[in-house]
Amino acid sequence: MAEITKTPKDKEKKKVSIEVGDGAAIPSKEDRGLFTAWRVAFFGAIGIVIYLAVFKPDPYLDIMKFVPDGILVTFEVTVLSILLALVIGLFTGLGRISKNPIINGIASLYVEVIRGIPLLVQLFYIYFALGRIIQMPPLPSAIMAMGICYGAYMGEIFRAGIQSIPKGQAEAARSLGMSSGQSMYHVILPQAFKTILPPVGNEFVALLKDSSLVSILAVADLLRRGREFAAESFTYFETYTVVALVYLIITLFLSKLISIMEEKIGAES
Amino acid sequence: MQNHNRRKMVEIQGVVKFFGTLKALDNVSLDVYDGEKVVIIGPSGSGKSTLLRSINKLEEVNAGSIVVDGFEIHDPKVNINKVREEVGMVFQQFNVFPHKTVLQNLTLAQVVVRKRSKEESEKIAQGLLKKVGILEKAHEYPTKLSGGQQQRVAIARALAMQPKLMLFDEPTSALDPEMIGEVLDVMVNLAKEGMTMIVVTHEMGFAREVADRVIFMDEGRILEEGSPEHFFKNPTHERTQQFMRQIL
Repeated sequence: MAEITKTPKDKEKKKVSIEVGDGAAIPSKEDRGLFTAWRVAFFGAIGIVIYLAVFKPDPYLDIMKFVPDGILVTFEVTVLSILLALVIGLFTGLGRISKNPIINGIASLYVEVIRGIPLLVQLFYIYFALGRIIQMPPLPSAIMAMGICYGAYMGEIFRAGIQSIPKGQAEAARSLGMSSGQSMYHVILPQAFKTILPPVGNEFVALLKDSSLVSILAVADLLRRGREFAAESFTYFETYTVVALVYLIITLFLSKLISIMEEKIGAES
Repeated sequence: MQNHNRRKMVEIQGVVKFFGTLKALDNVSLDVYDGEKVVIIGPSGSGKSTLLRSINKLEEVNAGSIVVDGFEIHDPKVNINKVREEVGMVFQQFNVFPHKTVLQNLTLAQVVVRKRSKEESEKIAQGLLKKVGILEKAHEYPTKLSGGQQQRVAIARALAMQPKLMLFDEPTSALDPEMIGEVLDVMVNLAKEGMTMIVVTHEMGFAREVADRVIFMDEGRILEEGSPEHFFKNPTHERTQQFMRQIL
């Protein structure tokens, strides 16, 4: 609050870049090595899958017929969790920049506590420990745990995104008579969304990978389907090879989508 | 020049403002009358922008009172948003909304704050864009415009609220020299229409043309005030003389 009228611009700019790191490596044209590695990994994985299906149909084709049901569940868990995380993240981010000490305190405490507990422990906690109070089916438990966990990370992304918008934008909106809520909704958030879209995409990839943890709660996701198949056929090597390849293809594909999205946003502004 | 029978639009009494330990405003008092054009000059760090920004409470002062259009803006019962509806502000950095088209920049607050219909606010917006000479850019995004054009959008955006008072915070300082004229022209026309204006600027040509009164600030205080001619011909204070020599 006690900042001089002419805030140095570079101070505001420094916050624009949002840390990206826990999803998959995003292939970019500047990083030639990574770009090549992406191609090798992506097309290599697809090539291996096709090769195995054609030349070793027993047991690979059977595995490939069995696990795809799990892909849908994996996506279901991922999409619903990320939606929950976005809602929680928006409120957490707003709370973290709130001048109200109570709201700010609650939001900050949530971020600190959740980020300090491993996701697997949170899953167990919500399903088994809280299950003694309210018994929820595995799927909602899993989505809730993942949403709450990623909401804390998302909150930091929202906070950074909102703070990346120059102070003058809010001042202009407020000087036109808008309330702080109207200014946030009409002026700040629409601009912040552009900044946070790439890191949110990155969180989506990270969450998709972490969603494999929910297989422990008997949610029939990609990994769980693999486990079921392997346990019956004793083809552990073959099954988990397929499971790993499918995860790899999905995450590499999504990371490519994010890089395209980033480029588009970069080109616009 | 001044008509003291006129209504006071702004009454600033004994305002003090600290930034940490730095005293940005030191017991400043200033009245601005309805229809009056006041130009504030002074070296950087003299507190002129802080004073201007405290009028619509973008800066909160530590002591003193500021009454705008009859409302004491520090009174907890006064809704500052209502006061700001009547006070337009133009910034050095334009602060146009980059995610909205030029037309949307002008209609947003009209719809959200003034509760006008989309049609009505667009009509008002188009009229103002024509007035500031950029109607043909109505559907462009402001980032595609030059600095001078962006600042004219910002002025039109403030005018779209039909304010009673306009505050200008160094509106031409961030502009390339060849664009200063087009913005000043808009401001001169606005002054001729009778708008009450408080302008922080170094453009003495503008001050000479429109100002009823010039205020010279230094180190958070009003050091001298008078007509533009007074400042050109015989400023009293040595500090003022020194400053005038530098900017002319």
